[in-house]
Amino acid sequence: MLRYVIRRLLLIIPTMFFVALITFSLAHLAPGSPFDKNPNRPLPEETIARLERYFGVDKPIPEQFVIYVGNLLRGDLGNSFVQRGRPVSEIIGQGIGVTAQLGVQALLLALAFSIPLGIISALKQNTPLDYFSLLIATIGTTIPGFVTAIFLIYIFGVSFHLLPFVGWGTWQHSIMPTFVLALGPGAFLTRITRASMLEAIRQDYVRTARSKGLREQSVIVGHALKNALIPVATIIGPATAGLITGSFIIESLFNVPGIGRFYVLSINGRDYPMIMSTTLLYAFIIMIANLTVDIVYGALDPRIKVS
Amino acid sequence: MTQTRSRIWPLLSLLTLVGLVVSACTQQGGGPSTGGGAGAADPNGELVTNMGTEPATIDPQVESFVQEIGVTMKVYEALMTFDLKTGKPIPAAAKDMPKVSSDGKSYTYTLRDGLKYSDGKALSANDFKYGWQRLCDPATAGEYAFTGYIVAGCEAWNSMDPKKDDPAKLAAAKKTFLDSITISGNDISFKLTDPAPYFNAIAGLWVGVPTREDQVTKGGDKWTEPATYIGNGPFIMSEWKHQEKIVYTRNPNYRNPAKLAKWTSVMINEGAVAFAAYRNNELDIYPVAAEDLRTIDGDADLKKQVVDGPGSCTFYVGFNNKKDPFTDKNVRVAFAKSFDRDAYINDVQKIGKPATSFISPGIPGYDSGDTFQKFDVAAAKAALAQASPAATAALANLKLTYSSSARNKTRLEWFQNQWKTNLGVNATLDPVDSTTFTQLVKKPETLPVLFLLGWCADYYDQQDWLTTVFSSKASSGRVGYTSKQFDDLVFAADKEPDPKKRDDMYQQASRLLSSDAAAAFIYYDATKILQKPWVKDYSITALGFEGQHWTDVYVTKKS
Repeated sequence: MLRYVIRRLLLIIPTMFFVALITFSLAHLAPGSPFDKNPNRPLPEETIARLERYFGVDKPIPEQFVIYVGNLLRGDLGNSFVQRGRPVSEIIGQGIGVTAQLGVQALLLALAFSIPLGIISALKQNTPLDYFSLLIATIGTTIPGFVTAIFLIYIFGVSFHLLPFVGWGTWQHSIMPTFVLALGPGAFLTRITRASMLEAIRQDYVRTARSKGLREQSVIVGHALKNALIPVATIIGPATAGLITGSFIIESLFNVPGIGRFYVLSINGRDYPMIMSTTLLYAFIIMIANLTVDIVYGALDPRIKVS
Repeated sequence: MTQTRSRIWPLLSLLTLVGLVVSACTQQGGGPSTGGGAGAADPNGELVTNMGTEPATIDPQVESFVQEIGVTMKVYEALMTFDLKTGKPIPAAAKDMPKVSSDGKSYTYTLRDGLKYSDGKALSANDFKYGWQRLCDPATAGEYAFTGYIVAGCEAWNSMDPKKDDPAKLAAAKKTFLDSITISGNDISFKLTDPAPYFNAIAGLWVGVPTREDQVTKGGDKWTEPATYIGNGPFIMSEWKHQEKIVYTRNPNYRNPAKLAKWTSVMINEGAVAFAAYRNNELDIYPVAAEDLRTIDGDADLKKQVVDGPGSCTFYVGFNNKKDPFTDKNVRVAFAKSFDRDAYINDVQKIGKPATSFISPGIPGYDSGDTFQKFDVAAAKAALAQASPAATAALANLKLTYSSSARNKTRLEWFQNQWKTNLGVNATLDPVDSTTFTQLVKKPETLPVLFLLGWCADYYDQQDWLTTVFSSKASSGRVGYTSKQFDDLVFAADKEPDPKKRDDMYQQASRLLSSDAAAAFIYYDATKILQKPWVKDYSITALGFEGQHWTDVYVTKKS
């Protein structure tokens, strides 16, 4: 087991290298420069050339990559091209705490409502309760977060003055973004839980458990649920990574000073050091999340040997 | 200078509308209070505005974006500023208009007596010199260093490679430049490469403000944080919460103290959210987007809060003057006269003013009498009939290139339709991604045949428009227009000391540009804001960074 974990951790290194290589090449191959921002007021050609020289982006791309990796190994993520003079590590460092807090809150909220809802609707299949949970799940999956966000802002923020919607700081500020962020993954998890629970309760071992006279509660919790949660655990991995690295749209709408928005802004701005760092961070979190899920698998299902 | 436009998805605005209906139905009582209170200024008054996004940099010698300049110019004051009404340069930190040498190549400004930084340190002419030195220093890597090239030695020094070039040569270039700015007591003199009456406007820009050498050294890469971002302007930057807000407080050491005690600029990215915040009294000013107009028209309270003002950009249909069919002036004229600008504003753009000449209102040189390009289908058809056979042949496969977005598509389809209806010409839409579009229109070799583009002002002077965009010395190949007559006029005007003669020459050049139809002018952008009733004397100008713009605005008690 320990050996397996170590091997998986070591595998992260070459994977990260290839992620870096591919991201770097794609980012640099996309046309445009971090320094020409607006066609309506272009900087003179010479100015752009001078800025590119100053920031070293005029060098051949392989050379830039070698320099980048060299700096990365020394722990230097570089300075942002767009937010001049601010180290990427500082920009990410300031935002990641906020984003992670929001992500963890959203994940907990999503799990708190999706798993019970999924189980109940599976057990009460084709009853009004089941239809209600399906309705919630369908709404959560089909209505995009920014739509829900605007509705909530107008209802709770503007009309009733119940919740603040600009900025970050108090726990009240985090209510709406947490809810909106949790809705999508939560709805998805509800459906997965329901489906796998439905499958589990029809299995032979559940029938066996019932026939040997176990109480319904221990049949469900002890036998069905444990197996039903395996597919759910698979989904939680990437969902966690997605939530922790933040949502561009939700952070923008609620003015949450996190890092989610940098994923998109840095690409539009051709801010190469930011693109690299955010992508690598995302890749890293996904890999750790997947590893965690694989380990949890072993605990949930003894048939799966993780070594 | 460059403007960022907030991305507002059309869907979002639709939702805003729906949201407003919901809120209208659920609103209890009279909604937000709009009571103005007494008319007197609240000495502790605070104004809250939205700057949209975190500024990329607020280093005066590096920055180029409107909202970045808005930070700098609250905290610093340049030698000159601009008159709110006429846009002409007027003294700011300088006591008077400069003394200009007889050859027009030397400008001497005398500082006002007793000027201080916000921390109480006396301000000297040397501080201004340091600001200019940073601007031209290649190690600063400023985006607007080129505005300083008119000062002798700036271009040569700025063009060097600060890392690779011989240090002795760098030092020599630096010295040459520093020698062209001389200090004597409260006087600072600039030696220019050419006579340049527009230098007073350059001296009013953010690029030459007196950044403090001791603070830049102390703060290093982080000198733009509040502790070391110490200026000589109306406000002190007292707090900067990154990605959230910047808070300014009145600078008691400024020569003309601001009426506001506090000015908070929040960073709300999304227009729809900013609109909600305005309605919630969390913002005092909100720039209206086209999508908001229906909501505002349907709300009597909001309607009363609308204030209009000029913008700083002109948008035009670009013709590649070097490629068929637009090598032929007749074709250009035909295209320019064959779309209905009023209808365009009403149906498509919503906010703006029809344009038939280049320089926008609110900028010296705006020429409302230049109507050559006005909508006239008969004249357009007549012009097209005279086009050369080669040009006519090239009309058959005409591509209209644009930066792909839903909004641009609507705009371009409108033009496509106008030319089809009025001229019988079919242009195919050619969308490309925005960064690619920026690349294409930059170089003469890749310039599309037919495209949409704009120009936004840096300062109040015709030179920044006519010479910078359409002369043969234009900083980038805008439309490939070459006219000796136009060049002669603008180059002479750039150096002409007599203001009247100078304005006349620029006007001739501008009219030539319109009648040659180098480009087809479409509209001038305009500023439309919502302003709470307790906000008074908030000025809307094309540039929006005049000294009085900051000092005059005040708020009355809100309740």
